[in-house]
Amino acid sequence: MSRTRAVLSNPLVLAALSVLALLGIGEILSPGFAQGNQVTRLLTVSALLGIVAAGQCLVVIGGREGIDLSVGAMISLGAVLAGNVMSGANGAIVPAFLVASGATFLIGIVNGLGVTLLRIPPLVMTLGMMGVVQGGLTVITRGIPSGNAAPALSSFVNQPFLLGLPGILYVWALVALVMWFLLRRTELGFAIYAIGSNERAAILAGLPVRLVRILLYGLSGFFAGITGVLVIGYTGNSFVSVGDQYVLPSVIAVVIGGVSLAGGTGNYFGAMLGAIALTLLTSVLTTLELEFWGRQLIFGSVLLLLMLLYGRSRQLRV
Amino acid sequence: MAPLLDISAVAKRFGAVTALSDGALRVEAGEIHALLGANGSGKSTLCKIIAGTVARDSGRVHLDGAEVALSDPRSAERLGIGLFYQELSLVPQLTVADNIFLGDERTGRGGFLSGRRKREDAATLLARVAAVAGPGLTPDALVGRLSADQRQLVEILKVLSRRHRLIIFDEATAALDRRQVEVFFEILRKLRADGVSIIFISHRMDEIFAIADRITVLRNGATAATFVTSETNRTEVVHAMVGETAIRERVEHAKPASAGKPLVTLKNATSRRLHDVTLTLGEGEILGLGGLQGQGQSTLLQGLFGALPFARGTIEIDGAPHAIRSPATAIRHGFAYVSGDRGRDAALHGRSIFENLAPAAIVRERRFVFWPRQLRPRFEAAVKALNTRYASLEAPIGSLSGGNQQKVFIARWLATGSRVLLLDDPAKGIDLAAKADFFALIRGLAAEGVGIIFYASEDAELLSLCDRILVFNSGRISAELSGPTLTSFHLTHAAYGEAA
Repeated sequence: MSRTRAVLSNPLVLAALSVLALLGIGEILSPGFAQGNQVTRLLTVSALLGIVAAGQCLVVIGGREGIDLSVGAMISLGAVLAGNVMSGANGAIVPAFLVASGATFLIGIVNGLGVTLLRIPPLVMTLGMMGVVQGGLTVITRGIPSGNAAPALSSFVNQPFLLGLPGILYVWALVALVMWFLLRRTELGFAIYAIGSNERAAILAGLPVRLVRILLYGLSGFFAGITGVLVIGYTGNSFVSVGDQYVLPSVIAVVIGGVSLAGGTGNYFGAMLGAIALTLLTSVLTTLELEFWGRQLIFGSVLLLLMLLYGRSRQLRV
Repeated sequence: MAPLLDISAVAKRFGAVTALSDGALRVEAGEIHALLGANGSGKSTLCKIIAGTVARDSGRVHLDGAEVALSDPRSAERLGIGLFYQELSLVPQLTVADNIFLGDERTGRGGFLSGRRKREDAATLLARVAAVAGPGLTPDALVGRLSADQRQLVEILKVLSRRHRLIIFDEATAALDRRQVEVFFEILRKLRADGVSIIFISHRMDEIFAIADRITVLRNGATAATFVTSETNRTEVVHAMVGETAIRERVEHAKPASAGKPLVTLKNATSRRLHDVTLTLGEGEILGLGGLQGQGQSTLLQGLFGALPFARGTIEIDGAPHAIRSPATAIRHGFAYVSGDRGRDAALHGRSIFENLAPAAIVRERRFVFWPRQLRPRFEAAVKALNTRYASLEAPIGSLSGGNQQKVFIARWLATGSRVLLLDDPAKGIDLAAKADFFALIRGLAAEGVGIIFYASEDAELLSLCDRILVFNSGRISAELSGPTLTSFHLTHAAYGEAA
């Protein structure tokens, strides 16, 4: 009995169960919802969210109120940069990835420097950075959609690439592998958990705490940049607010996956399930013909509900 | 006539620890009464009971012959009892005048706050210490900008502004220089002439003998004796503090003290709480740091470990000078630091035992990528060597008892081979069995040639383990004990700033 409860209170199990439940609800509301093609489609959309959530996941695990609200603006920047570098040319796909992720990595590093050296709270630092990047992007592009995806990129994201699955899913799998290796097998990953769990103890254990925290934000930027390039592959062209819709979901996905906002716990596998669950939820809500604001309302409520649940389970643990 | 304050048979327990078993104290009106005792003798607890910040479990407290409850600080305050807090009650963002009258606001016409009256009253109070106040101590100065001694003066004035009948000064002179102490004593004598009673606590024996009319000594939570200062001497007082049965039980070491070749030499280390500390640690030596709590012992250890780097001074390792500005550097030189405050300084909460063991190995061996399979056998050997009870290395650290957690944090360092072990009151709050394991381990490490610097707040731990003890008082080494002087008498004597 207590064993069942322990299994049920495991965030991973909860996330997996909600994925299944949402699939079932979708199938009832609109027959065909849970069929092969549709599921592939859902996973493609989940991958976009999942890859941003990788960065968000690192920042949140790193603790000290870690959160990155600038991921949306960085996705937009990545998309616009990639669109202009590619301009529809297949040969420029690799440079597009390098330019977009490089630029957002550097912006992330600036976030990290602000948070560690100037001790600006992450919420404020990344919110400010969001404004700077969005504003800068609007000024430079004058708000007009610019650049477009190379055809090869669009088909890589949208069309079957290998074994009937689109290429973006293989990118996501690669990200998952990298995240697992990073968090479980490298000093950096070890230090991320340590600083999120107890920063003072991490310093006294000799870990390079500041450097790690700066890198975390850099990596969050890097993943946002990669997502930006994939987003333009998904939509075909880019506009300056294309990334905005990912900010809140990237945080919720991480929390659904069992990463505590207090830092120091959780893993990327949970965040992946969270991204899938959230994409499914969006999809179900769309089937219900709930528009943007209705979805925001539900998302916000889900986040608050999760905080309530996990807040209680943390109290129980101590 | 009844004494102003009459306390008898007061007891207080905190969980399993008895802080006070039989506290007694009589303070006459217009008397300066010193309270003395070694670490853990219960003097802080007794003061807190008088000031109402801690409620007693049993016993009687009479004020002017009437029993009083003293259930909270406010009721003590109403009865005219004031407590000097060591720097704890000042708000750095407020001015000197604001701080002095915080909670006792000055009002003018119509009952509104009066900034002018506050400043005037503060200026009147400040005039009493004007001769030794130093630059910048004005009613409008921000407390956060003041030096440590100035803050302490403000704290003293704050207590004086309240017009109490009984004031407890707990280490009120700790940050003051000689001239400032003289001015403070002048103020105390004037208070005494006005009929105010004072309970005075200091870690300097000469101050106690200079100012106190009587001295009450606490030992192991009970009042041991009360002396009239003019009729006693320091030796008698220290004997009362350590007790007649203080014959130390000690394993005599085969080798003479500091026989090994020097491992670490520290010269003229100075920082905010340390003054000009010089010491040498030999191979295989257990060097104790003694004295009352907070006299710089922990600051020294954290300085050696790079967590609180020294402002000045040199560190030599194997005869070669090295700069240690961060724990990472210290760790790569083979230093290890074990804190008694495990929850704050060592525990990676919510993580596994394995992860709590890993940091030292990862940092010292520069493992940017690691495979748990390679590390696990070593870690298991290290925790098993300490008799640690645990289910598996994957169990969360919080599933272990305090003593077993501390073993994990020590094993963290032992799994990688440490040459210098810095122990900062490491046995604090762990059970007796774990303590015994722990001391056996330290002796074993010393026998293998590891140099150990050991600070303990319990004198018995130091005396049973150390080859040599440096006694600290006000951030300085006040005495070095070894051989025949390794006794609790000499240790207590020196802790109060007396040459051994």
